Amino acid sequence: MLEHAYLIPLLPLTTSLIILLFFKEDSHSPAPYLGLAAMFWCFVQSVVIFYGAASGASALPYEANWTWFSFAADVAGKGFTVPMPIGILIDGPASVMLVVVTLVSFLVQLYSLGYMHGDPRFKRYYAFLSFFTASMLGLVVSSNLLVTFACWELVGVSSYLLIGFWFEKPGPAYASKKAFMTTKLGDCGLYLALLLIWAKFGTFNITAMTVSAAMPGYLSTAAATAIGLGILFGAAGKSAQWPLFIWLPDAMEGPTPVSALIHAATMVAAGIYLVGKTYFIFVHSDIAMGAVAWTGLVTALLTATMALVAYDIKRVLAFSTVSQLGFMMCALGCGGYTAGLFHLTTHAFFKALLFLGAGSVIHAVHTNDMRQMGGLAKKMPFTFATMFIGTLAISGIPPFAGYYSKDMILEKVYAYNHVMFYLLTFAALLTAFYMFRMVFLTFVGDDRDHEKHHHAHESPWVMLGPLVLLAFLSFVSGFGLEHGGLFERLVNFKLPEGLVPETEAPAHLGLYVTGLVVASIMLSWRLYGRNDFRLAESLKSRFSILFSVLENRYGMDALFLGLVAFCDRVAKFAFWFDSSVIDQFFVDSWGLVTTLLAELSALVDNIFVDRTVDGFGGLSMDAGVLLRSLVTHGQAQEYLMYIAVAVSLFTILILSR
Amino acid sequence: MEHLNLLYPEFALGSLALGLLVSDLFVAPKHGRLLYHLAWIISIVTLCLIGFTISDGAHFQGVGTLWAVDPFSQFFKMLILLTTVLSLLMGLEYRELPSKHAGIFTSLLLMASAGMMFLVSSTDLLLTFIALELISISSFILTGFERRNPKSNEGALKYFLFGAFSSAIMAYGISLFYGATGSTRLLNVTQAPGPLMILGLLFILLGLGFKASIAPMHFWVPDAYEGAPTPVTAYLSVAPKIATIAALMRIFTLMLPASMLDLTSLFTLLAALTMTIGNFTAMFQTNVKRLLAYSSVAQAGYMLIGLVAAGTSGGDVRGIEGVLLYSFIYVAMNIGAFVVVQAVATEAAAAGAKDPYGLEAFNGLARRSFGLALALTFCLLSLAGIPPLAGFIGKLYIFESAVKTGHIGLAVVGLVNSVVSVYFYMRIAYHMFFKQADSAEPIALGPYLYGGLAVAIAGVIIFGIYPEPLIASVQSSAGFLP
Repeated sequence: MLEHAYLIPLLPLTTSLIILLFFKEDSHSPAPYLGLAAMFWCFVQSVVIFYGAASGASALPYEANWTWFSFAADVAGKGFTVPMPIGILIDGPASVMLVVVTLVSFLVQLYSLGYMHGDPRFKRYYAFLSFFTASMLGLVVSSNLLVTFACWELVGVSSYLLIGFWFEKPGPAYASKKAFMTTKLGDCGLYLALLLIWAKFGTFNITAMTVSAAMPGYLSTAAATAIGLGILFGAAGKSAQWPLFIWLPDAMEGPTPVSALIHAATMVAAGIYLVGKTYFIFVHSDIAMGAVAWTGLVTALLTATMALVAYDIKRVLAFSTVSQLGFMMCALGCGGYTAGLFHLTTHAFFKALLFLGAGSVIHAVHTNDMRQMGGLAKKMPFTFATMFIGTLAISGIPPFAGYYSKDMILEKVYAYNHVMFYLLTFAALLTAFYMFRMVFLTFVGDDRDHEKHHHAHESPWVMLGPLVLLAFLSFVSGFGLEHGGLFERLVNFKLPEGLVPETEAPAHLGLYVTGLVVASIMLSWRLYGRNDFRLAESLKSRFSILFSVLENRYGMDALFLGLVAFCDRVAKFAFWFDSSVIDQFFVDSWGLVTTLLAELSALVDNIFVDRTVDGFGGLSMDAGVLLRSLVTHGQAQEYLMYIAVAVSLFTILILSR
Repeated sequence: MEHLNLLYPEFALGSLALGLLVSDLFVAPKHGRLLYHLAWIISIVTLCLIGFTISDGAHFQGVGTLWAVDPFSQFFKMLILLTTVLSLLMGLEYRELPSKHAGIFTSLLLMASAGMMFLVSSTDLLLTFIALELISISSFILTGFERRNPKSNEGALKYFLFGAFSSAIMAYGISLFYGATGSTRLLNVTQAPGPLMILGLLFILLGLGFKASIAPMHFWVPDAYEGAPTPVTAYLSVAPKIATIAALMRIFTLMLPASMLDLTSLFTLLAALTMTIGNFTAMFQTNVKRLLAYSSVAQAGYMLIGLVAAGTSGGDVRGIEGVLLYSFIYVAMNIGAFVVVQAVATEAAAAGAKDPYGLEAFNGLARRSFGLALALTFCLLSLAGIPPLAGFIGKLYIFESAVKTGHIGLAVVGLVNSVVSVYFYMRIAYHMFFKQADSAEPIALGPYLYGGLAVAIAGVIIFGIYPEPLIASVQSSAGFLP
């Protein structure tokens, strides 16, 4: 299985092309089943690879390369050939990611059978999903950073296409543009980092880079900092970290299964994964590591607070996603390589679950606004139960998955910096608070919109099946992966000495935090759980300024829109300058001068030159007539004569040297 | 006759071609397609025979009395046979052809190919001349094969006149050469070149230049190409051209190296002239066959650049490799373009168009058959040298070799010409994608055309994206004997 791992990205790619090119748009088209079959195969293969790695039967990392192209280069007068190998590299993190991506993608495609049923662009949707998955898998397994970058851009394109899937509505069209442009801004940083990597390492092969970087003194701190910051900026765009997180809440305009796949479980995790993949560069620079940690922390805190006041169920989940990604980023920056990627894995399961659950709710009541929901638990028991499990998991209640990974992160952060630890714990408490707020507002209490409540119904089994499976995984994946140090054995990075202070976290840290989390849930129950919102309303009116700041997302959107508007104005000014000043003044006045000169010249021309020319013209006309009488209209002869003339000319040219 | 056995694939092809000629007597005209099938199978068998000679150089390669069989010649022979196969496949789908004198047609085509195979192996002017005549006389008849079409007759007649003229020049050149050296052998020429010999070589060069359509010997090209049946046009625009370029390279860069006789400046002039005349004249054509004819003149000019680079004293082997590479790619892209042109023109003629090969016949092709329009666009972009298609790799290789050997001016002329060529190639694309079609009927593409097109397009795309295997095979084929 391992030696055929190249099939994993290529199979969905082929599938998507087949669906796109050969299938007809038709509500009964077999396109989804093709996509599902391909994804199931990839999933089976990934599981076999993962099992082989976990049981120790196959040795990771596994690498296979082919030469894509090679080119000649001159370095200091010495010429040699530089090969550009591409291939697959499967190490511990990749084997885990493969399982996560293929599983979530499979479940989302299954779920979409119900959710997207009857959409006029059904086939196209499945083609895009397969295309996205192929790009994402390519990103995961590539052994060449250049190919990783290409796949990185391709997931961006897929995300653009899927956010704007209902492009006839203004919201999705706007959101897709915003997402694309914001991530592109981040990609500039990544691109610069790639250039620096090429200049520094002379290769894009990750294994070769790792070997070089491990040599003492090969990678200077300054270079590592520059490269690391560039990668971080790119990752911040893709993983929606501060200050580039503005696009993710808007991206919720896309179909909900897409949000579950792309904007919760996989694509947004690509930034984290990339930082993990290039971790060997980051560890050479304290500044880069610190930047990663603080970016993650700021993101986790800011977006957790924004989620407190959102009423759109998908927006709450979007803010929560960004906040959790911040947790992972922060863990990576604090030297918690294993912890960050562990949280990435468990988060993929429970956040996909939460999104799919939210999709199920939206499918039932046809609104995103939680103020119009309430009391849905009785109508949709399965959705409620699974989402409740997901909420417990994300809040970090033992023994659910989130507890293990969040605990691991907090321990690492405690060892790194106490202030950061307290801030991050506060963010974790906020997480529990707003997630339970969401559950209470949606499922508990009285129905606030009788019409909608009356029509609500449980979703079909094709949608519930994935929910149940993901709920099961949210329950067991934390314990299962941590048990016996399995995850740590698979995904580990040996940090250099002295990078992170070795402070032991106090015993039972997790239990204290859990206690606080339970208290936070109680507070949430007090405010939103009992059909009595007076306290919440009074708080809202007392701190209205704070609320409006949060609702305006700290003005980050306004800031970026202002930036865009400013660029727009600069461009307009430049255009005005060009057309009014340069064109009018320089070009046109120069034109005037030349016109004058031309008129003068024409005068001279008419009087003196023309007459001479006319004389010659007449002469050559006469000569032409003479020649014509010699050379008749028979073309072949004429041509042959040209040849004869040319031959004579060449003869003269050669012999007269 | 030393080592006559080395030429056994040529003899096999020649005798089987004669067999086809005889079998024409026994095959009814309505079964003419049978002979076409036979002919392309014969070509493939010969292709395989040559393939075997590559694997065992010790037995199957060497120098004979008048010939040398080496990797270089075998590469070109395989290309020629490939072109023959593709042209015969096109012929199967050409309405005017298979029912009329199929035996004669196929036999002549194979004869011409046999002539080219002799030409690329020849080391003696006598054999060169005879091979050239074999090609020419077969081609004259093939060009005029549509007897009821006045254009075909006109093209054939012009072709014949020019052929006779250039044969005369060449024969004169050979006699001068004989007078100077006392032999027609090109191997081991020891005399210092005097004016007599130089003049002789110049005439030989121009005689060969006629077949390769090098300016100023290109005047016959548009008329002959326009008049000939389209499969023959495709064949003539590729096979004789690359064979003659190979012969030029063998004579002027290997057997008479620059250290002995420096003709670099003349070749530079010819290359620049050929490219410029071809491209600038193509700009004004409204008939696609004529347009492609002038484009093929220009393409010969690009190949000449490689010849210049290879012939410069202290020259670069990359020049030779560049010519090999470009020839290979040229086969794919030019034949691909002609396949589409034939399909479209057949449909247009059936619809009663005044000029089935006019640009108007391509109006709205993208609406009618998107795949076909895309395929033609790929071929044209490749001819213009736009990445990531194969033509770009070929041009890059050739221009790079020119720059490496100090012919920067020539490379610049080549680049400017490439830019100019985009204009007229894209004019066809413009008609296909942006003009309104008269009918919405998709273009029917027969199975043999489809196969030929698939092979050509695969070559154009695959070797554009992943040229390594092609470059590797070209590098191993650049070996010469002696």
